[in-house]
Amino acid sequence: MKRWFGRQRQRHVAAGLLALLAASPLAAQDEEWAGDWDDDPWGEEASAFSWYGFVEGAGAWRTRSNPAIGDDMTLEELRLQLEGEYRADWGTVSVKADGVADGVEGEFTGEVREAMVNFSPAERLDVRLGRQVLTWGTGDLLFLNDLFPKDWQSFLAGRDDDYLKAPSDAARFSWYGEAINLDVVVTPHFEPDRYVDGSRLSYYDPARGTVVGAPPALAADAPSRTVDNAELALRLYGLAGAQEWALYAYRGFFGQPTAFDPERGVATFARLNSLGVSLRGPFKGGIYHLETAWYDSADDRDGNDPDVPNGELRLLVGYERKMATSFTVGTQYYLEWLQHYDDYATSHPFAADARRDELRHLVTLRLSYRMLRDNLVLGVMNFYSPSDEDAFLRPTVTWRYSDNLQFNAGANLFTGQRDSTFYGQFEANSNVFLRARYSF
Amino acid sequence: MNLSRLFRHLCAARHALLTGGGALALALITGSAQAQAPDVTEIVERANQASFYAGNDGRSEARMRIIDGSGREQVRQFTLLRRNGEAGRQRYLVAFSRPTDVRGTVFLVYKNPGADDDRWLYLPGLDLVRRIAPGDKRTSFVGSHVFYEDVSGRHLEDDTHELIETTAEHYVVKSTPKNPGSVEFAEFTTWIDRDTWLPMRSEYARDRRVYRRMTIQEVQQIDGYPTGTRMLMEDLDSGGHTLVEFRFSAYDLGIPESVFTERSLRNPPRQWLER
Repeated sequence: MKRWFGRQRQRHVAAGLLALLAASPLAAQDEEWAGDWDDDPWGEEASAFSWYGFVEGAGAWRTRSNPAIGDDMTLEELRLQLEGEYRADWGTVSVKADGVADGVEGEFTGEVREAMVNFSPAERLDVRLGRQVLTWGTGDLLFLNDLFPKDWQSFLAGRDDDYLKAPSDAARFSWYGEAINLDVVVTPHFEPDRYVDGSRLSYYDPARGTVVGAPPALAADAPSRTVDNAELALRLYGLAGAQEWALYAYRGFFGQPTAFDPERGVATFARLNSLGVSLRGPFKGGIYHLETAWYDSADDRDGNDPDVPNGELRLLVGYERKMATSFTVGTQYYLEWLQHYDDYATSHPFAADARRDELRHLVTLRLSYRMLRDNLVLGVMNFYSPSDEDAFLRPTVTWRYSDNLQFNAGANLFTGQRDSTFYGQFEANSNVFLRARYSF
Repeated sequence: MNLSRLFRHLCAARHALLTGGGALALALITGSAQAQAPDVTEIVERANQASFYAGNDGRSEARMRIIDGSGREQVRQFTLLRRNGEAGRQRYLVAFSRPTDVRGTVFLVYKNPGADDDRWLYLPGLDLVRRIAPGDKRTSFVGSHVFYEDVSGRHLEDDTHELIETTAEHYVVKSTPKNPGSVEFAEFTTWIDRDTWLPMRSEYARDRRVYRRMTIQEVQQIDGYPTGTRMLMEDLDSGGHTLVEFRFSAYDLGIPESVFTERSLRNPPRQWLER
């Protein structure tokens, strides 16, 4: 199967993209309204059930050969997404599911991205039950208090930004007061990040001291499904004048498999408790954000267990402003401060140059320019760490050809002085991507 | 506080002043003709009220047909909720239903006259509430030829206004920006209906040439308020235009302030959005 895909896939992706291009004039005709507005079905009552979807062809090509992974593409797929929504008197039911012909993995896969009911049992209470995407916090592609699952593998391999967030099977209760609101999210079974496992992207393995790829794919052991291992996330927030404030608390696990079980010899997820604060509001003609989080690594509070990650203090400051018509600049400074660093350094079992620094500094710069009434958007997001001496550059172009057809092109470019740093390890995964999406 | 009612009281008081004893004194000084024509400040204030502040609150469904210079068409469909506050403040909630890729996107705007607006955007795919940096309001509103400023109104104090003509139907007002570097036009001329106070046409000019034109093509009386229900915005440089049609408009519904909060971004208020 894999081989068949290997031979056929270049042609398939190309054919898929061409088919989408060819479909666009037809689609434009379909969408044309019957000359007179008054004949339009707009006047009719909206039906309770509605459905939508898209077909997307996507490819991402490595910019250099990867010694750990033979495949020269990080992404090669044709994706169909269908979404249905039913509006009842008591609430809304929605389902969103993807089917994917995946050339990199050589398989057909499916995933339910959303399956939830949304209702308001009391005047001030909204409840959302089921599979859902969850987001909060103020960072731009940096997450401190948002400990909901991310799909870094999708994002870094070239998929749409929406796929950076992985869904959780959770219950979210939102209570709205006069000045204070409360969100409570319970995820009965811990949902880890979709971490880089070597299948599409290679990563640095500290035990082997080198960048590795699949096979074997990194398979971490998730915590057992007990009540005690459920995730609980809280956010207390409000708007004071124009300033948004929020307090966060979390009890669960680190999203990445950064712990190790020496008895069984597998990667695991360490316990994590977290507390945090954020502020966001207008400042000097732009928007600032400020966020901090304290990570308590509950299984290694002294920081001397090499198999469990240390606690951290994280800090983020950002500012965004429109600098000229349609031109926006956003910048952030981000700090990770590893707690109990001396204990960490002493107990670190691997090569000294693979050790983390006590302080990891990171700056980001985002530029975006909107043209042709927002139909063409040029952007670049740059991450640079002076302490790790690595960087991640992400230029993107979005072209909205019509209401149905959109093209995205861009690149994920990594560079670094060392293999062990966050962006440095991905250097050989640098890729250029192209996507075409037909929505209906 | 019922702002529009207060405003009408003020106008009435002013009118009484002008037509009553005050008018006599004024007429002695300025001549009787001017006592009957309102001054330009009153005209632009009343036009602003009629366009953007009708009722205490309002709801409308809108659809845009966007045609670019090469004839390609795009569509936007949304429901707009608005609530007036004190001192000209307003809150807007705009929930998109078409096309597919923007469906579920919701805008929340707190309009603060004399200061930057507060704006939020909800992206449903990421469950993300984004705060939008204030900035140039003379940029495309969701891909159309309509600007943000055309939706929520341009601050009257940003321009110098001059009544250049009074016809049988219209007051014709020329407005010149106080800070010409902040806008793309050199001046704009507005034809304001003398009965309804609605600006029926606005023409934006630079280099003594009109390059952008707004026309209200249809007006309906809704809940006692004259309402522009069909509007055309033309970009004469590119040849593109956007036709906006409003339907199912209603005023004074009693939409509570709590509708205009983050809750409505994540969970759009169907009670007010659905007709």
